[in-house]
Amino acid sequence: MLAMDQGVVEEWLAEFKTLPEAAVPGYAAALKEKTFLVPALYKVIRENYSDMLEPVCHQLFEFYRSGEVHLQYFTLQFLPELLWSYLSITSGHAPHCSGCIEALLLGIYNLEIVDRDGQSKVLSFSVPSLSKPSVYHEPSTIGSLALTEGALANHGLSRVVYSGPHLQRETFTAQNRFQVLTFLLLRYNAALSYMCGPSLQSLCQLSSRVCICGYPRQQVRRYKGITTRMTVSSDFLVQLITGIHFALCNGESDLGSKALEDVLYRAQLELFPEPLLVGNAIRSSLHGAALKSNKEGTRCIQVDITPTASRISRNAVTSLSIRGHRWKRHESQENSVDSDTGAPGPIPEISVTGVSGERQANGEAPRIRPEGPAPGPEQGPDSRAEVRRQKSVKRVLEDGGVPSARGQY
Amino acid sequence: MTARKSGSRLETEIERCRSEGQWDKIPELVRQLSAKLISNDDLGELLLGEAKLQQYLKENPIKQGSSPRGIRPKLVEVRKHLTAALDRGNLKPDYMQEASMVMAKLSYVEGDYQEAISQYSRVGMDDMPLVGSPVYRLSMIAEAYATKGLCLEKVPMASPSFSKHNVDRDQEIITCYEKSGDIALLYLQEVEKALSAGIQNRSPKPGPVAQEQELGYFLETGLQRAHVIHFKNGNLTRGVGRFREILRAVETRTTQNLRMTIARQLAEILLRGMCEQSYWNPLEDPPHNSPLNDPLRQGSYTKDYSLNRRPRVYSGENLFCPQENTEEALLLLLISESMANRDAVLSRIPEHNNDRIISLQSASVVYDLLTIALGRRGQYEMLSECLERAMKFAFEEFHLWYQFALSLMASGKSARAVKVLKECIRLKPDDPTIPLLAVKLCIGTLHWLEEGERFAKMVVDMGEKASEFRAKGFLAIGLVYSLRATDASLRGMQEDYQKKALGAFQRAQSLSPTDHLAAFYLALQLAVSRQIPEALGYVRQALQLQGDDVHSLHLLALLLSAQKHYHDALNIIEMALSEYPENFILLFTKVKLETLCRGPEEALLTCKHMLQIWKSCYNLTNPSDSGRGSSLLDRAIADRRQLNTMTLPDFSDPETGSVHATSMAASRVEQALSEVASSLQSSAPKQGPLHPWMTLAQIWLHAAEVYIGMGKPAEGTACTQEAANLFPMSHNVLFMKGQVAELRGNMDEAKRWYEEALSISPTHVKTMQRLGLILHQLQRYSLAEKILRDAVQVNSTAHDVWNCLGEVLQAQGNDDAATECFLTALELEASSPILPFTIIPRAL
Repeated sequence: MLAMDQGVVEEWLAEFKTLPEAAVPGYAAALKEKTFLVPALYKVIRENYSDMLEPVCHQLFEFYRSGEVHLQYFTLQFLPELLWSYLSITSGHAPHCSGCIEALLLGIYNLEIVDRDGQSKVLSFSVPSLSKPSVYHEPSTIGSLALTEGALANHGLSRVVYSGPHLQRETFTAQNRFQVLTFLLLRYNAALSYMCGPSLQSLCQLSSRVCICGYPRQQVRRYKGITTRMTVSSDFLVQLITGIHFALCNGESDLGSKALEDVLYRAQLELFPEPLLVGNAIRSSLHGAALKSNKEGTRCIQVDITPTASRISRNAVTSLSIRGHRWKRHESQENSVDSDTGAPGPIPEISVTGVSGERQANGEAPRIRPEGPAPGPEQGPDSRAEVRRQKSVKRVLEDGGVPSARGQY
Repeated sequence: MTARKSGSRLETEIERCRSEGQWDKIPELVRQLSAKLISNDDLGELLLGEAKLQQYLKENPIKQGSSPRGIRPKLVEVRKHLTAALDRGNLKPDYMQEASMVMAKLSYVEGDYQEAISQYSRVGMDDMPLVGSPVYRLSMIAEAYATKGLCLEKVPMASPSFSKHNVDRDQEIITCYEKSGDIALLYLQEVEKALSAGIQNRSPKPGPVAQEQELGYFLETGLQRAHVIHFKNGNLTRGVGRFREILRAVETRTTQNLRMTIARQLAEILLRGMCEQSYWNPLEDPPHNSPLNDPLRQGSYTKDYSLNRRPRVYSGENLFCPQENTEEALLLLLISESMANRDAVLSRIPEHNNDRIISLQSASVVYDLLTIALGRRGQYEMLSECLERAMKFAFEEFHLWYQFALSLMASGKSARAVKVLKECIRLKPDDPTIPLLAVKLCIGTLHWLEEGERFAKMVVDMGEKASEFRAKGFLAIGLVYSLRATDASLRGMQEDYQKKALGAFQRAQSLSPTDHLAAFYLALQLAVSRQIPEALGYVRQALQLQGDDVHSLHLLALLLSAQKHYHDALNIIEMALSEYPENFILLFTKVKLETLCRGPEEALLTCKHMLQIWKSCYNLTNPSDSGRGSSLLDRAIADRRQLNTMTLPDFSDPETGSVHATSMAASRVEQALSEVASSLQSSAPKQGPLHPWMTLAQIWLHAAEVYIGMGKPAEGTACTQEAANLFPMSHNVLFMKGQVAELRGNMDEAKRWYEEALSISPTHVKTMQRLGLILHQLQRYSLAEKILRDAVQVNSTAHDVWNCLGEVLQAQGNDDAATECFLTALELEASSPILPFTIIPRAL
């Protein structure tokens, strides 16, 4: 370690200790400007300098405990590096045994599992439902929702707990290790926007290494170092993937895509369906976006003007058109009229070009027209069809049905 | 009809055509109009100019990203009309403004941006009332703002060095587009309203109703260009804000596709670029200092305009407003999904190939994002339902099938998952992961061993192609054989399968010597066939590879107990417990060992400790959360994964950890009967899932066993009763009741309990042995012999059964056979572990 780095770290250690409480928020905001500090701290954690590591871990914990969000983010940015340090130590091949990293991780965990009043935190979220009106939609315009068992059970809003309550942990054991680490990653992921490049890079590295050490792919990646296999849990991998996804889209596309491949590789070997599911989805959804992000450099969140007209040709049979289709056997009396609006070409029995008003729910019997074909004196057969079309449009609107953007002219 | 009336009707008709964009009808209407009054000529010129320009644009649409090029001959005519209308100055002020706006648009189309800008500045668009103006005019104003924005982007800056000016210019451009977009939304809502009103009032002379409105270049640009610029400038908060404004506006038929796209894009941003802590909800103002924005351009744009009329937004009581980025993403994706789903192209004819691809692509993006959002929150159950809806797109689409299979697997729907995986294998026969996943399910709760064998063989048959997965394939087939050996009811079959299993594990181990699982299962298989020293060698190897593997440690302890090194075994168990303090399966073994090494009092303490652990694990409630799902017990049902991390022998048969075919059936009967029974008792604490309750019952039964060993029937009964309250129809409970009765010397009662236990689980070896013993005492030798022989068939390594059988045979005077039995019993006893090796779960 260079003397300069050491100096920077020592200064940082000393400065915070003498800081009066009132000055903490200002100090937190100004931390960003210490450009040499973060790389120096990474070095301390990475290279396991035992004499520096302990006070550094201690101070990082003090930061976290202060409750000042920016100080918490500051500590949190080192989490991937700390996790890697810890995991490589527990796999038994690190030269130093450092309890201070363990203590720091457990300390953060025990702070995070309780709320301000010291009650166990339960993380939950609402599962939105299309059957309840929201700021973005009205249930009636969505059309018929599939009436599945699940849809009925979740009618309206339901709140689902996705993490917690968690037990306080005094020590790491093989049994609780990944529960604790997974929860820590969950909290890290909740603050991803505040993490800077080096932290995301460190996360990608952590993911790759944890997943490939001891497997044949380690040679492909040319990573030397630990060669024993590391245990992982399915949930842990899912959390890693969540972080990698963010990294991929926020400037770390190279490291990120490598990490994603490595996690998927491991998930396959472990036969974990959950990370495979999420990882595959990310890989497939980035297919189109990948090129864009490379060109733009940092952020791949770029959108273009998209044509608003439907790209699907009007005479294709879609779920909607077939739902609204009136099958032949229902048509008996109207056959003659329909035939002149007729179905062109390929699928004779399905009136794909049927006018919008012909739509009705599948299985619903066609309504009998009381007025029947009663054309006025000046109306020819064409205008008769016109009247009928109009009526059916009206009917659709009255029914609150969904007139579509498709299949009409 | 009077002339006057028809005049106003004509005007209405013109207005309608203009708002619905039916430009081809205008010339005819203008002719009728001019016939009425001479003073209409100027208006006619305006209308003709406008119609011809629009018609031109319809025929030569401007493409996004390209600029219009120069003067076209067709446009000369347009200019003539407009100049005529403007020059005479006879038009009403409203029409004058309209004419100027059309003129400006023409200038833009001709590429004269500066001219267009100066014309717009003369019109004074900001002062035009949006309230009460005809519908078509809204569209005109919206287009005018968009065009002005386009022009401003094109015209070079007067002084490019002056950066303050630059910011102002950016601001002006964006404001133009945002205004344009807002007015465009308003326009589309109004058109739709007019349309439905027109239908209801049977408006005069209906044209082809419900013509699909096309937005055209200008409105499309107006609606979307603002957020494109926001994102390009790195102003994520404002871009998201703009997206939300568009989405909150009540949808119209024309905006459906736009909404679907924008909803998906916003969901993408929420999932890729935001996190819980940087989120703000759609009804809040964005944070001032957000990490989402490019720090170099912080605050480069703020919304600072207001319109005198805005598009209608979704409103009402109790509107759901998301409070978290995942919630909002989910809501948006569900909306997109419902639209994408409607567009699923079902026909398979080649002509619709392209349409099919488009509909598949737009849907699968939505489903991928849904997977990401729901996976993050562990909602695999809901995900599998969503992906099931995707199946209408899935014909021959591997990705959708595979994702569906994985979601079924993650949500615990194993049987369906296997069926879907079969289809995946058909679509992608070279991927070894898929059959391996299927094996994993088959040898798990499903216990479909034959099917599992088929899948495992697929992997093995791939040979070298399966590379790293080849060893896994052998491991899988070994596990299948091992489980089949446990199930087999004939000794010959058992031995055959054991041999096959051993061979497979050896292959796996030699292919992948660094895989601790291969070494471990090899050790376990050797242990089951009572090759204790060899097994010890491999379990040590497994522990070298993975020092804290709970099953390896457990196996090591059991192997030591088979060598009668009970104290060493107990030490190993205690060491394992220091790493896995809440592992009940280890604790059960500990109780057994403690009874032997340290006496029953110690064992009872461990039982008490287990009850405490159970309580802290499953009964942790959070007082601050009064709602449902507050205790772990309630949650366990939602969180099935937790069950997987807890390894427990099946409650129905504590002797065999891995599920046994007949005990599977028994445990189902048991569950069903228990449910019926407990539904009759109102006080039964049976709200949660079975699993934690099963553990609890098992703890009580272990305690009962310890008490029975101490010769304390009263305490034994009490403990058994606790278990019986949870599972009154469990054969284990009935067996334990029989034990207590035996202890009390009540042989008839004991016999009755044992018979009941066997009627629920006919292959419960321990019960068979005790029943055989009682029958022996009752001198009903042949029946006793029959039962004991059956028991030996089920489990040929149960030395106490062999012993009983010997006694029965001896009593019958069959001394030779009896001797053989005693010898077998003796031999088996020498290698018998404290609990059967099969208590250790076998799973992939």
